[in-house]
Amino acid sequence: MHWNGKDSTVFQTQKEYIDTAVIPLIQIDGSDEGFRFAASAAEFTLSLANVIENQFKGRIVLFPSFSYTKSQDKQSIFETWQEELNKASFKHIFYVTSDRDWSTMGEEQNIIWIPSIPLDSMDQKMRNSVLEDQLRQLIPIFAKIWAN
Amino acid sequence: MSNNKVSRRQFLSYTLTGVGGFMAAGMLMPMVRFAVDPVLQKKEGGDFVLTEKKIADITEVPERVDFTFEQVDAWYKSDITNAAWVYKEGDEIIALSPVCKHLGCTVNWEADPAHKNQFFCPCHAGRYEKNGKNVPKTPPLGPLDQYEVRENDGFLEIGKAIPNTLV
Repeated sequence: MHWNGKDSTVFQTQKEYIDTAVIPLIQIDGSDEGFRFAASAAEFTLSLANVIENQFKGRIVLFPSFSYTKSQDKQSIFETWQEELNKASFKHIFYVTSDRDWSTMGEEQNIIWIPSIPLDSMDQKMRNSVLEDQLRQLIPIFAKIWAN
Repeated sequence: MSNNKVSRRQFLSYTLTGVGGFMAAGMLMPMVRFAVDPVLQKKEGGDFVLTEKKIADITEVPERVDFTFEQVDAWYKSDITNAAWVYKEGDEIIALSPVCKHLGCTVNWEADPAHKNQFFCPCHAGRYEKNGKNVPKTPPLGPLDQYEVRENDGFLEIGKAIPNTLV
């Protein structure tokens, strides 16, 4: 499900089945050396999030990406998201990111860290196959957490 | 004037017939168009999309075939890639839609080791038999949709989705 009017109506009637929130985390970098890399990483993360949504449409709600700068406190970002999404009674919250800083935050937060692959030089077909490959590796991760 | 073969009366009647004929035609033409309009209407969604799958390469094991078409959403054009599970049943080629009839996830062939020879939806463990029939007591309430297929120069073409005809 996407975060839009039509899908949220379905979500509210099917809460028993749609129990997972997915939030892409995007780092904004204004410095000369990081600008391009951060933008490319954002493109990858958002494309991957869309592929994930397409695969698990009936169980997840894909939220708009959360963008932050390096200096923002990551722990408090977690806490505020957690608190808000608990109101909508999500059982699982997954964060998808290619920013390495999150990977140290621990397994229990359901952070899916995937190193960014630069998609900008690829054509549509190549992109799809790269994203499909990534998705195939993610399916067991989702299944494992859902099984618990 | 005396050598004019057409009399005034004749001239008037010819002119009136001519003009009347045009007027009648002008009125009838739109009506005829209305009447036959359904025939002239362009078929929507009936177009077939050429895939890169060779007919000869299709086996009895369902295989994922991607196909891309252009979708126009108001002023925004985008390439949409859809997939189909394609296999051969005897001589017939079957293409099933991978969209789960429960809440729209994507189903995969033999993705659950416990249930061979079935489609499996990882979201809520919905299962379908090879012909797309939903397995009772799993969440889906209907069979997988089917795609129209045809052959073009040895390659597979996929058309619009239709309700499953195999179940």
